[in-house]
Amino acid sequence: MLGFRVQRTVSMGLKSLWLHKLRAVLTALGIILGVTSVIVMLAVGEGASQAVQAQIRQLGSNNIILRSKKPPEDSSTASATTFALSYGLKYLDAERIKATVPQADVIVPARHIDSEYIVRYHHRVSGTVVGTVPWYTEVAKRTLSQGRFLTSLDMHRRATVCVLNGPIVRKLFPFHDPLGAVVKAGSSDYRVVGVLEGRNAAPGANGAASEGSGVEIYVPITTLQSRYGDTIFKRRSGQFQATQVELHRIIVRSPSLDEVVPISKAVEQILAYGHTKQDYEVVVPLQLLESAEETKRLTNLLLGSIAAISLLVGGIGIMNIMLATVTERTREIGIRRALGARRTDIIVQFLTETILLAAGGGLLGVALGVVLPHHVVTRFFDAPTIVTARPCILAFSVSVGVGLIFGIYPAYRAATMDPIEALRHE
Amino acid sequence: MAIAQVVDLVKTYRMGAVEVHALRGVDLAINEGDYMAIMGPSGSGKSTFLNLLGCLDTPTRGSYFLGEQDVARLSDAQLSHIRCHRIGFIFQSYNLIQQLSVVENIEVPLYYQGRSAHESRLRATALAEQVGLADRATHRPHELSGGQQQRVAIARAMANDPFIILADEPTGNLDSATGTEILALLDSLSQQGKTIITVTHDEHVATSAHRVVRFGDGRIVSDT
Ligand SMILES: Nc1ncnc2c1ncn2[C@@H]1O[C@H](COP(=O)(O)OP(=O)(O)O)[C@@H](O)[C@H]1O
Ligand SMILES: [Mg+2]
Repeated sequence: MLGFRVQRTVSMGLKSLWLHKLRAVLTALGIILGVTSVIVMLAVGEGASQAVQAQIRQLGSNNIILRSKKPPEDSSTASATTFALSYGLKYLDAERIKATVPQADVIVPARHIDSEYIVRYHHRVSGTVVGTVPWYTEVAKRTLSQGRFLTSLDMHRRATVCVLNGPIVRKLFPFHDPLGAVVKAGSSDYRVVGVLEGRNAAPGANGAASEGSGVEIYVPITTLQSRYGDTIFKRRSGQFQATQVELHRIIVRSPSLDEVVPISKAVEQILAYGHTKQDYEVVVPLQLLESAEETKRLTNLLLGSIAAISLLVGGIGIMNIMLATVTERTREIGIRRALGARRTDIIVQFLTETILLAAGGGLLGVALGVVLPHHVVTRFFDAPTIVTARPCILAFSVSVGVGLIFGIYPAYRAATMDPIEALRHE
Repeated sequence: MAIAQVVDLVKTYRMGAVEVHALRGVDLAINEGDYMAIMGPSGSGKSTFLNLLGCLDTPTRGSYFLGEQDVARLSDAQLSHIRCHRIGFIFQSYNLIQQLSVVENIEVPLYYQGRSAHESRLRATALAEQVGLADRATHRPHELSGGQQQRVAIARAMANDPFIILADEPTGNLDSATGTEILALLDSLSQQGKTIITVTHDEHVATSAHRVVRFGDGRIVSDT
């Protein structure tokens, strides 16, 4: 009996809306656009956040990355033009960390020589020579596309072998197999033993993953040490500048996610003890991840409030039109009352129309919101988007709620009209 | 036997400080099968009286027995229920719902009785046929002449098989020939045993009605 009543009421409401199709669509437009934009915005936000998270994960959530940083210039270092400017992480730092935090698995020291020419016959590119250790790939989550990475034996023998990354291979070996070939970096020749796979572009945050995207050549850190010594000379604006950096990077890997933060704290203390200047930085990908999640939560909150406001505006639009409709249909209301409709019947009739309008708008909005991100945003703006079910369900339910709330007043106005007055209405 | 009886019915409209006495005490008994014409000058309270009989309004004072029940002090929902099951209205300006077809208009009272769609459609179609509009069943009111619209209204008034059919100047908007047709339709309803009360200015109606009640200034001045 109830189902039958609901069905008749709904079909009466649909008929009435169908009579003014264009008006119905225009009335629901606020809701449609509100729902669509919420879903699209959330899909874009979700896509971006997933991309950032993926990039941070690539750095390794278990890792703590220490990097040498040129200390801010002050008066005490102003005279350094004549002396070698010495800063950054030391071999001793790595030793100390190893001794103090024994549970930290792997420690990867690395040293960079920037802007070095790498040459093969007449091909020449400018790139970075990275001195590192055999377990670098494992810790930094890099994979080889060809050959092998550096070995302990290479380290021990200070072998003149190297591993190239993708960009350098494309530049120096456009047509040839690089394995076994010899390239010159600085003043030494190195035999290519492997090629690293490329990595996605770095996330902006702190340039945390800046290595991997440029031109890079990896050699045993021991070899680098013996070839370059500790002091690097560079011509800069007519002057020779000498810099002494023992290690450019140390990666400390925690055995578990829970220990990442305590270990990073310990590492910071160890470094603070050994350094008088802030000539290093500590990057904890896990904390980046956490702050990325916090950012996402805030963004969602913001989008949620925008959504609430736009649906509110949509609801007011619907109420406005429904009030006009009620006035326009005063005579009809009088007739129905004279023929036996109770106030409740009139309330149900108009409330149903409003809810149908809002729910229809919500449904259309969800449909657009599901289709647009992939077919428009991703295709034409090249931004990753991910549509999840939650905002769709939420936005639709809120639309229905808006219809209910903003339908009550017009329906109440309709129901409380005096039937005799309503019948006389022109 | 009286199926409806009003006792000392008073209706006063209050407009700010001014009181308008639309009905000043009306006593009347309506018997089953009555065909009553109410006449009287404009403003004498005929429509007000009909609206009270039709439970669209409640009197300021007095009683109104419909069957055994005093309906003068009922709630809005109870009055709606009585309109839904016992009263049939016919208006001067037809008052059809413009967006509904002929049969759909006839179905409206049945909708509020909660009858099934199928049953309503059968009954509405039969009634449309009875008033000679079988071929117009799916037309909209604006596609019909005034006389045809009033026939739809009569069919609608009969849909719920009411105790009383109340008609307020049913021929007021029609030319005399069409008016005569409509009156003939009411006559035939009366012959079927329906109780009919019609407000009219047409002395002609008085001849076919069993009873003529004349109103003057909110009171009954003659009842023959
Ligand atoms: N809603 C109302 N408010 C105020 N006065 C009214 C109202 N309805 C009717 N009246 C007054 O009551 C009197 C009777 O009106 P009515 O019953 O319509 O007369 P009739 O139908 O006989 O022409 C008139 O004076 C009219 O102005
Ligand atoms: Mg009148």
